[in-house]
Amino acid sequence: MLAAKQRNPRSYRIVGPQRQIDERETPHPRVDRGELGERLRSWRNTRAGQDPFRRIFGVGGGDPKNCLQLIMRQLPEGAVNPDRTAVSDPAGMARNIKEVARFLGADVVGITHLDQAYVYSHRARDKAAMGQKAGDPIHLPYRYAICMGFASDYYKFLTNNSRISDADYGLGNNHMIAPTFMLAAYIREMGYPARAHDYARGEVNPIPLAVNAGLGELGRHGMLIHEEYGSRIHLSVVTTDLPLAVDEPVDIGVTEVCKYCMKCARTCPSYSIPFGGKEVYNGVEKYRINVDTCYKYRLAGRGQWTNCVICVSSCCYNKPKAWWHTLAVWSIKRTPIPLRPLLIKPLLWIDDLFWGKRPWRHMKWLDYDNAPVPVTCDIPGCQVKHRDLQHKQLHRPTQAAGGSVS
Amino acid sequence: MTYVIVEPCIGVKDKGCIEVCPMDCIHGTDDDKMVYINPEDCIDCGGCIPACPVGAIFAEGEVPEKWQHFTQVNADYFNGKR
Repeated sequence: MLAAKQRNPRSYRIVGPQRQIDERETPHPRVDRGELGERLRSWRNTRAGQDPFRRIFGVGGGDPKNCLQLIMRQLPEGAVNPDRTAVSDPAGMARNIKEVARFLGADVVGITHLDQAYVYSHRARDKAAMGQKAGDPIHLPYRYAICMGFASDYYKFLTNNSRISDADYGLGNNHMIAPTFMLAAYIREMGYPARAHDYARGEVNPIPLAVNAGLGELGRHGMLIHEEYGSRIHLSVVTTDLPLAVDEPVDIGVTEVCKYCMKCARTCPSYSIPFGGKEVYNGVEKYRINVDTCYKYRLAGRGQWTNCVICVSSCCYNKPKAWWHTLAVWSIKRTPIPLRPLLIKPLLWIDDLFWGKRPWRHMKWLDYDNAPVPVTCDIPGCQVKHRDLQHKQLHRPTQAAGGSVS
Repeated sequence: MTYVIVEPCIGVKDKGCIEVCPMDCIHGTDDDKMVYINPEDCIDCGGCIPACPVGAIFAEGEVPEKWQHFTQVNADYFNGKR
């Protein structure tokens, strides 16, 4: 194994032993078991699919054979070609594999060691084609993780939350499946074992691996922040034993920006993102979101949307590709850490001024229109003035989330 | 679990909680003495607590003994209305 000492990520810190997470403890399986309420379980299985895009991209009562991820979830893994390609230069091979990943469709790619702490301990779903059952322990003895990111459309995400942002979110989830499958297959045809982990099927948590692979840093909202795409990227991973040189974690200023920005915490409708400091959970010091309230908030869609992407859209790193955004991030990166607040505070003021405290845009696309609609209360006689999501008050730091953190 | 509005709301009905509730699960009519949280819709985010000027909102498991019955009062308000 390549034993070169790596730079530690700045956006999270390992402070104690980490246990592997059981995939059955992650939100979707918990919702499927009804642990977050029967209403949410029922919604996920039926009403979540009120729109054809939702049915082809995800869940909600459509024909499983019309859904790429459900089909791909059941595909068997191909054999490793016995004619192994010799690798004398792992750095050169890493460059080649990154080029292959980009050729196949990835927008960003990085490589890190596969840390077993980020491999799930047990699987949550059956996979008949591979003879795997829910509850089986996961063994993933690979050395490397190739992390890929697939960017979503900036403007469609700005329609948050709507059927338009839903469609683009679902497309991103499904978009990653074919390139990830093909990269794993490509490596197997080079004579090395490789496994694809994507939206259809995954045995790893891609976010810490992507941070370690230098794709970006961990934000206050619990997601990866890439310097160009912010958090509007979907992550997939290929684990392999193909000899590769690994990348180092990057510093794009997220530690300082998240400390002062808090735009995601102000705009999160369900108060799931903390205003406070980092906490230690499972041996990791990081910002800790409330995943239960985040998930339950989907019930607020009123048939107009399914997936909330407000924090993704609000993040100040989330901008269209433009020289001024590149310059702003470049400036933060080049500024010594103690001096960064002097630069970040005016940049955040400019961000609010030009992009809004609650980034949102009206869009018509196909037959969809995300214009706010008047709220009609379905409680007979109720006379309180309910407001549309877009007109809710922004939160202040004193309005800390009160729900139990999971 | 749910959050519960209790006695101090009676006669105050500031309604600041309604502005911040992401689920729009707080309701009431002008004739009601207070506003009520629908326990079926509440997602336990706690956003309403700091918005209440009289400290009338508690998590279900933290309602003071003297106001425990308000958990049922809130739930009963929505019986037959859905």
